Amino acid sequence: MIMTSKSPTQKQKMTSAIVIVAEHAEGRIKPVTYEVIAFARKLQRHTSSSPISILLLADEVENPAQELADRCGLDVTAMRIPAMQSYNGELYVQVLAEFLADMHPAFVCTAHTSQGQDYAPALAVKLSAACITGVGDLIGQGKETAFARPTYGGKVIAHLQPRSPTAVITVQPGIHNAAAKPGNTKGNVTILTPSAQNRRSRSLGIKQADADTARIGDASVIVAAGRGIGEEDNLDNIRQLAALFAKSAVAGSRIVCDLGWLGYPCQVGVTGTTVSPQLYIACGISGAVQHVMGMQGSEFIVAINKDPSAAIFQVADIGIVEDLNAFIPEFIRVYNSEKGGQNG
Amino acid sequence: MKILVCVKQVPESEIPIQIDDTGSWIDMDAITEFKMNRLDEYAVEEALLIKASLPDGHIDIVTVGPDHCDAVVRRAVGMGADSGVHIRLDADGYQSPWGVAAALAAFARDKNYSLILTGAMSEDSMQGQVGPMLAACLDYGWATSVIFEKIASDEKTIYVEREIEGGHRDTLELNLPAVITIQSGINTPRWPSLSNLLRANSQELETINMSDLVQIQPMEHPAAVGYPQKSRAGLILSGSRAEKAAHLLTVFREKSFL
Repeated sequence: MIMTSKSPTQKQKMTSAIVIVAEHAEGRIKPVTYEVIAFARKLQRHTSSSPISILLLADEVENPAQELADRCGLDVTAMRIPAMQSYNGELYVQVLAEFLADMHPAFVCTAHTSQGQDYAPALAVKLSAACITGVGDLIGQGKETAFARPTYGGKVIAHLQPRSPTAVITVQPGIHNAAAKPGNTKGNVTILTPSAQNRRSRSLGIKQADADTARIGDASVIVAAGRGIGEEDNLDNIRQLAALFAKSAVAGSRIVCDLGWLGYPCQVGVTGTTVSPQLYIACGISGAVQHVMGMQGSEFIVAINKDPSAAIFQVADIGIVEDLNAFIPEFIRVYNSEKGGQNG
Repeated sequence: MKILVCVKQVPESEIPIQIDDTGSWIDMDAITEFKMNRLDEYAVEEALLIKASLPDGHIDIVTVGPDHCDAVVRRAVGMGADSGVHIRLDADGYQSPWGVAAALAAFARDKNYSLILTGAMSEDSMQGQVGPMLAACLDYGWATSVIFEKIASDEKTIYVEREIEGGHRDTLELNLPAVITIQSGINTPRWPSLSNLLRANSQELETINMSDLVQIQPMEHPAAVGYPQKSRAGLILSGSRAEKAAHLLTVFREKSFL
């Protein structure tokens, strides 16, 4: 490795260090990275670990690395990989395994996203590290610290403890507050240019989703449809309800997208988009953990479902046990009549 | 081309999950209804579609689990796979993904599979680790959450599209052999046919004890398991449908949503 600046950190053996692998796109740090930083600060308090540092792998590293160091006050080691224009799992594992094998961190934290899920388990094998994915919270202190993650469809939460010097952790998005710590000090940026070569895979770029679909991530109000809408035509109810609100969007659960009723860009959940609008109205959604993980950061959640035992009511501020296909038209009627009264 | 599909047996989705007396794991004895992991059904179907598109193909099915798991191997053979292997565990309970991946790697290493498929994640443990770990153990290329694939005509590479956030797709080419994990929606899994099921039931499954393949100390320990906590106030509105609608409208007005 070629050092292009001072502070040679990688020679030091830091057995209680926490390392974060940042996620970025198009030269910008993805907000989920700041959630991972918040999780790592909590992990540091639970385990009395050494300082947190950040690794960033990209073809162009200067701007995103500086953004990170300025915003969170942590040291950033940026790995410049000119050949990697977008995420490539093989290069990530190759570069990270070599760097981290020298560093011996206690924890490697990254986001439980399509990237983190792709490389973290392979990295753990290369580091002979424990791998705990989809972590929501921390339980206990010190050596007894356990990583809590939903299992069996979210019906139970498993508390897993690493039994290895290093543990690779993927952090569930949408749980930890991404607000950056207002620090007086800025972190240092170190830029390395590791050798990295694709031997078994070649990235061919990102295929963008159809652009005509509303960007649900930007909406203030999301009305989401689940299997409980019954049939595709009933999406009209969902669209009419959404139309009452300014800056609203229609979204759906995975199964609604698998059925082709909505496009995948509209999918909320672990495999879709993680959203945190001011208002989320879940219509006919059972509340499988994969969906809940994608919307539980919403400020206010209303659930409409005819099954009173549906798990979605566990995360709702207001629950309405009704058939949505009868309730939504009723709600729109009440809204229109009140509006008429106000105007008249 | 030899293809391996790794499948898992999981509890039926609708059954309750209870914590055992020790509080350290769930009560496995209380689970009596099982099925094939949904994403693994898509993986089996994708393997069958690949085989149908090639001049010659052979599909093996493998699972890791206790005795009752042989049912999912038979189901996959019933869907049309050629033969099945059951890597046997003595007991139910928490399975470290690494242990499972290491056992699968030990099994697959010398068998010249060009492609290994599995579901992107299991419905029960939801870790999504076995696929990339298996690739790492074998030093193969891999791609997770694959929603489209096409094998090159020379059968040396595979083009894949991975589903990423926002419905976008990350595209890449992998050298074969490779491991791909399959996302739902890539195809429509078929039902097992009667003739294939009869064949599956008469066919001898190869059974291997996991302990004969690998001896792995789990790197993580299931210390405890708990029920999820209700995370919000969860006011359930009462009254007639119209009263609930009026109440909801009042809340929306108070919060300035409308």
